[in-house]
Amino acid sequence: MIQATRNYLFFVWRCARIAFVGDWRYYAWMGALTLITLLGLNAYCKQLVHGLAVTGMSDEVSWGVYIANFTFLVGVAAAAVMMVIPVYIYHKEELHDLVIFGELLAVAAIIMCLAFVTVDLGRPDHFWHLIPGIGQMNFPASMLSWDVIVLNGYLLLNVHICGYLLYCRYQKKRPSKWFYIPFVFIAIVWAISIHTVTAFLYVGLGGRPFWNSAIVGPRFLASAFTAGPALIILALQVVRRVTATAPAGPTARSQPAATAPGVVRLRDAMLEDLELLAHHLPELASVHVADRRMSLAGAAVVDVPKGDVILRQGAMDNDAYFVLSGRVVVKREESGRSRIIRSLGPGEQFGEISALTGALRVATAIAEEPSQVLRLPVTSLRRLMQTPAMNEVVRERMRERLMITDRGLLMLRSIVQVSMLINVFLLANEVFKEFYSGNLHVASAKYLFLGLHGHHALVPWIWTAVALNFAAMILLVLPVSRSLKWLNITCVMCIVGIWIEKGMGLVVPGFIPTPLGAIIEYTPSLNETLVCLGIWAFGLLCYTVFLRMAVPILQGRLSKAAERPPVNGLISAPAPF
Amino acid sequence: MPISSPAPAPDRTSDAAMTRRTFLRSTAAFSGLAALAASLSPLRDLSDYTSVEQFLQKYYKELTPDEMAKVLKRIERDVERQYGIRPHVRDLRPMDGVEFVYCLNLTRCIGCRKCVHACVAENNHSRNPEIQYIRVLRLPHGSLDFEKAEHHYDPKQVPEKGFFYMPVQCQQCKHSPCMKACPVNATWTETDGITVIDYDWCIGCRYCEAACPYFARRFNFAKPEIPKERLNPNMAYLGNRPRKQGVMEKCHFCLQRTRAGRYPACLEVCPVGARKFGNILDPESEVSYILREKRVFIQLKEELGTSPRFFYYFDK
Repeated sequence: MIQATRNYLFFVWRCARIAFVGDWRYYAWMGALTLITLLGLNAYCKQLVHGLAVTGMSDEVSWGVYIANFTFLVGVAAAAVMMVIPVYIYHKEELHDLVIFGELLAVAAIIMCLAFVTVDLGRPDHFWHLIPGIGQMNFPASMLSWDVIVLNGYLLLNVHICGYLLYCRYQKKRPSKWFYIPFVFIAIVWAISIHTVTAFLYVGLGGRPFWNSAIVGPRFLASAFTAGPALIILALQVVRRVTATAPAGPTARSQPAATAPGVVRLRDAMLEDLELLAHHLPELASVHVADRRMSLAGAAVVDVPKGDVILRQGAMDNDAYFVLSGRVVVKREESGRSRIIRSLGPGEQFGEISALTGALRVATAIAEEPSQVLRLPVTSLRRLMQTPAMNEVVRERMRERLMITDRGLLMLRSIVQVSMLINVFLLANEVFKEFYSGNLHVASAKYLFLGLHGHHALVPWIWTAVALNFAAMILLVLPVSRSLKWLNITCVMCIVGIWIEKGMGLVVPGFIPTPLGAIIEYTPSLNETLVCLGIWAFGLLCYTVFLRMAVPILQGRLSKAAERPPVNGLISAPAPF
Repeated sequence: MPISSPAPAPDRTSDAAMTRRTFLRSTAAFSGLAALAASLSPLRDLSDYTSVEQFLQKYYKELTPDEMAKVLKRIERDVERQYGIRPHVRDLRPMDGVEFVYCLNLTRCIGCRKCVHACVAENNHSRNPEIQYIRVLRLPHGSLDFEKAEHHYDPKQVPEKGFFYMPVQCQQCKHSPCMKACPVNATWTETDGITVIDYDWCIGCRYCEAACPYFARRFNFAKPEIPKERLNPNMAYLGNRPRKQGVMEKCHFCLQRTRAGRYPACLEVCPVGARKFGNILDPESEVSYILREKRVFIQLKEELGTSPRFFYYFDK
């Protein structure tokens, strides 16, 4: 127990350490974010001293960009669930690791949500009045108390799931299903609940006709499932670009020469070849001799000259390979550029993804130097994998390689696509109901879309949002957004459009006109804007740190086995990542 | 072999690298801390600080009489330190068999806003930024559409032809949306029908302000400023004691007066007798008579189901 705690603390310490290590781009990025965070902190300190008078808010418009950002970010946090459903319910392997990125984004988003509500409080020192037990929580009457419960619960759930999965990966241990699968399913329901409860915060107010509409809840979910995955699509590509371009090995830089392919020599594999492989792959030794012999059926040893392509991305064949001698470099073409993913030495495998999943080849393998590789048909590989140790090592390596693929991103695109269609449809419903019936309650909607009695501060904003959302919707249904360049543009349009629609376009007009018909407009002050920027920067800082920790663990580069033991209570300098 | 063994150059360079790294690291750590300190510097001006006593103060309904006495003493001390006047702060509880109701005669109201000023003076409102509990609306004859209301009418003389005036303040709802909204129970309706706020318990989230259909609640966006010579020293805990920055406040039917058997300040000052106040549980009271005898009376936004204890009526 004590040892387990120590191991865990060491893991946490190790993760914390790695957050401070990176190349100059990492330092520059983190430095810039820290600077903006501190500017925001400075602005918040001013607000603490002088009160919320330094914001643009008033008794008439008593919530502004703080709550607008809060509402938007609850949606982002909730959208992480859209990554979870395909993986755990439909077993889509290509999204498996993406789930952790999604959930980490949820954690960062919830942290930002909590920061945004905290800065909105007039008396943050009275915060403890909310804590059940020592304070007074008006549960279940107040929707705000529900929100406090669901948001904190969601934070805990996601921290647990990500933390547990990453810790297991770090220990190279198989996660116990009982420790996370139930929580994953709770989190799915919970994610819907956080955004529904946030919608009810507005819907429940009978005195605000603009919000008091049953469609706000579904609209919130639809817009969240548009903006959230859109944000994840962008974040994943940044992660991919930053992590995948690192040279995979000492020889990886030397491009395979485009010489004429030499003569490929091929012979049937023998038991001795497996023995040779077992030198580099000890798990193979645990496979029973009978199984080993049976697996030789159809297996071959291939001599590949330097520069020869062994298998090609997009091809339909499905043999698996092990390197017996020499080196093989694996390259992947993503969105028009070719990247070296890794360079493999003796004992390492490639081609197993297509062999086991039946998918097209996900990468190209080229002999980096004259090499000898063992080619196994699927049946042979499966026979070897009947031994648990062998199964474990092959699966583990396979998972490490299933990083961010274009297929995964396109899967997210279809989520964004459907959600945006629903979102625009629901918005149209709302607009129809408001304007067609034409009763006095249309005032807020009129103020938002057309301006009211000469006041029209929000009109340019909402029409920008409408234009962005419509354009994004059209791009999403056209095949053009299957190319990543257009998909990225579309995602940015979705995020900006929905941020405006849901933030400034929903929170602020709810207050205008006031219940007594006065029109007081709202513009965020400079100080208020700085606080918002500070919180966004802090959230990005958190997310960057989370990714900095998670990526090496998922790639198997940061693991318990790879640790050097602590010396004199100090941690040895971490290996460069 | 004449070659002498080379000096341990790698060691020296790694030493130098080490020192440089340590230097860079400590510089980064130092400048980071300096930047943090600089960003926290505005806190030096924090004057409206919370004492430990005040920070740990319990919820109004959980205070024992002894603790309440201590809290009242602390408030008196604080007010005296700030304004130089020793106030008399009481914890007035609702009277048995009393439920307050307000009736306002729209035929009589001339829109002079004397009630607004009396309220500000009685209830120790912040003069900067200005806070007022009563908003008088000027409406054209024949309409109750608030979008047609003028909030900042400023004629030479009232009343003006073609308009009527409608003062709006807290409607003291039976089913108050603000009370339902408050996440910490800092606002509630007492047995005499007054919805009150524990200013020391409010966290300042302003959800009640969003929930109120009558624009009756006010927030202290800045530290309230009251001129010393204008301070009303007759105070109640749930009533007109000076508020803090960052908390809500609203009309409480002048409970420091009404729970001691007096009329609200807005009623006393009204030059035309448009305002009537009393105990609805007493059939002989003026408000009971009005609600029994008058034909037309209005509860604002009745369709919201808030059932206000504030009634508007017309004479003719």
